[in-house]
Amino acid sequence: MTRVLEVSDVHKYFGGVRAVQGVSLNVREGQVVGLIGPNGSGKSTLLNLIAGVERPTKGAITLDGRRIDRWPAHRIVGQGIAKTHQIPKPFLAMTCRENVAVAVMFGNREQRESAKALGEAGRMLALVGLEHKADVLSSNLTVQERKRLEFARVLGTGARIVLLDEIFAGLSPEELRDAMNLFERVQKEIGFGALIVEHVMRAVLTLSEHVIVVEEGMKIAEGSPRTVVEDPAVIEAYLGVEAAHAAP
Amino acid sequence: MRLRAIRSFGPTLWGIVTFLVVLAATAPWIPVFLLTVLIQLLIFSALSYSLNLITGLTGYVSFGHVVFMAFGSYALAFGVGTLNLPPVAGVALGAVVGLALALGIGLVTLRFRGVYFAIATLVVAVAALYIVLEIKELGDGQGIILNIGFEPLSWFYTIWVILATEVLVTYWITHGRIGYGVRSIKSDEDAAKSVGVNAARVKLFLYALSGLFAGGAGGVYAWTASGAFPYQAFNLMFSLQMLAMIVIGGMGTLLGPLIGAVAVYIPSYIFLTVLIGFQFIIIGIVVIIIALFVPEGIVGSLRKYVPELRGFIE
Repeated sequence: MTRVLEVSDVHKYFGGVRAVQGVSLNVREGQVVGLIGPNGSGKSTLLNLIAGVERPTKGAITLDGRRIDRWPAHRIVGQGIAKTHQIPKPFLAMTCRENVAVAVMFGNREQRESAKALGEAGRMLALVGLEHKADVLSSNLTVQERKRLEFARVLGTGARIVLLDEIFAGLSPEELRDAMNLFERVQKEIGFGALIVEHVMRAVLTLSEHVIVVEEGMKIAEGSPRTVVEDPAVIEAYLGVEAAHAAP
Repeated sequence: MRLRAIRSFGPTLWGIVTFLVVLAATAPWIPVFLLTVLIQLLIFSALSYSLNLITGLTGYVSFGHVVFMAFGSYALAFGVGTLNLPPVAGVALGAVVGLALALGIGLVTLRFRGVYFAIATLVVAVAALYIVLEIKELGDGQGIILNIGFEPLSWFYTIWVILATEVLVTYWITHGRIGYGVRSIKSDEDAAKSVGVNAARVKLFLYALSGLFAGGAGGVYAWTASGAFPYQAFNLMFSLQMLAMIVIGGMGTLLGPLIGAVAVYIPSYIFLTVLIGFQFIIIGIVVIIIALFVPEGIVGSLRKYVPELRGFIE
């Protein structure tokens, strides 16, 4: 059965700050959806709402029609939705393999035996190209390696829908190309659905089949990558009013 | 499956088990004076393993751990004095009371993190003393004096069973799936939740176990003291000593709590008979030195700096 994540008219207020104001979106298993918008437009908050880190003030989030927006984070992971952290949070006192093994044992898989989980963790690390670091303490990884570990951990949970928070940020052009190839390969192989929050336009526009643009917590445009970048409202949000008028 | 697990028991567990078995086998021939000292040492060790389950394994510093011990003491005194239970049943009652209390307190306080949790548990322990002082059935502020016999061997085997169970439980928790969950919580609780670990449940489970064992140990303590007395049972020095034991021995390790108990109890005992009060100054200085220079404790540092020993220590 193809899983469907549905966010309908979700709001999140922090005191007087309206971080998210009525955003709706869908992600199907197998589908890559991009979420873009200027800094502070509520993208990360939206991911936190879906992952159960925060609870929406208003609106509903459902997985296959079931409300999940009041569930604690660990239970949402158990239903097959997992998120990477924008600033990687590895378990520093553990090796990479153990980091991923925790996800394998506690996530959405029926794998409770530690020996088998460690083996499965090795396969996940190989998928993201970290197999040579499997038995290294995660505190010894570089920032980029930590991001890969975050990704491997999300895969380790057996998630069918993954939420990726800026995993392509801070890469050189060659590294970006490699990371995008890796993402596409893994996505094809596993077939998960993904909601990717990203500032790196090249990554979002290449990888996503559908793009959603938010500004100040509201959805201002959505569609295929091509239509979205030509939308005057989007250009205005990113470049200001004058640039929007100057655009062809 | 079970058999394979037993064969893979590490040398540390074998070492501790051998030590305990030798103690149990020779206990009837140990001179009474030495046996009473040994019993106190085992009570301290049991408290040390109890605190290790929550503070050592998760990093949540339970500052008021004495509260479980104190209620265990009172449960035994009440059970034996008022309900006419045999003392061993009184110890079991103490353990159950410790468990129930930990579930109740943990449900509220484990929502706090870091220093807030430590303060909350401390406040509970101080408040509990003043509640107990007001309860008529619990000695009306004076404590409960029991008229029971001097039975060092019964004391010994009761605390021995508690301690042996704690060692096995600690091994079981640190060497399986739960162990990975526990380590992930200690490392980064938010990240642990984000990969599916039910952190609240794991923490409550450990805290409840910890309360169970501390309550049982408190029961044995009251049995040896022939009663429970408020200012003695709720003395925060017990909390500090328990913390000192796991800090010195090595937090979250299997052997550390035992080494820490020996390292804290023996000097305490010597100074208790020579210079009363002086022991806390010594322990305080030792804890400061350990915290500053060997923060992982004796066992933790061995594991870190002598990697060849890792297989032996775990």
